[in-house]
Amino acid sequence: MPIDIEYFKSAYDKWVEEGLAEFTAGNVLDVVKRYPLIVSEDIPWTPYAGKPSEQTIALVTSGGLYLKDSQAPFNTTSIHGDPSFREIPKTARREDFGLAHAHYDHTLAEQDINVIFPLERLIELEQEGIIGRVAETHYSFSYVNDVVTLLGECIPQLLRKLKAAEVDLLLLVPV
Amino acid sequence: MGNEPERMAKIKPPRALRVKFGRGSMFGEPGNVERQRRIVMDALEALQTMVVPGTVRELSYQWRR
Repeated sequence: MPIDIEYFKSAYDKWVEEGLAEFTAGNVLDVVKRYPLIVSEDIPWTPYAGKPSEQTIALVTSGGLYLKDSQAPFNTTSIHGDPSFREIPKTARREDFGLAHAHYDHTLAEQDINVIFPLERLIELEQEGIIGRVAETHYSFSYVNDVVTLLGECIPQLLRKLKAAEVDLLLLVPV
Repeated sequence: MGNEPERMAKIKPPRALRVKFGRGSMFGEPGNVERQRRIVMDALEALQTMVVPGTVRELSYQWRR
């Protein structure tokens, strides 16, 4: 059964209305505990076919990565979070990244971005022929509560980009 | 990937690896190239061997800050 987004939206709007003042005052954890999390009834499934050595792989993280010099950081203060995503080129280097996500400790990722976004490892495996091709573009989300916009606008946009880039495999790294 | 069993049970990913690392470091300690590589390899293997929807494989690797 697909997710009933209209049902979620009414619960979400109520959650925002009731929690906004508390969230804004900084009592985030208590508000988040009351979040009307969507619980999936079904498990989506696509059987795997092919070989990684002949396919294209892309990374998706929710670590709040963005390119410091050319992209806007995510909104880290809104109760809605930020449902948008940033496109991270394969050529990005460690020093290019900023982290905009207010709900985890960035210390380890700042030491080595591969702990949340192992692009360097994927490129090495591509060079060894274990992975066929590392996609030219990878993606980062950040902290999101607004699943209505996420599912209605941002995820369809992401899927169009992945299909256009002929990505076969996605490695999802939540943070 | 995931690191919170209760949350993963609600999200029901089609296939997943569960790590024992804390939030903010799904691939373990910074600078451990071999460990990071191993986990990516585990993911590629899981992709090819998991045939039951909802399978979650727990990886035994451990590290604490």
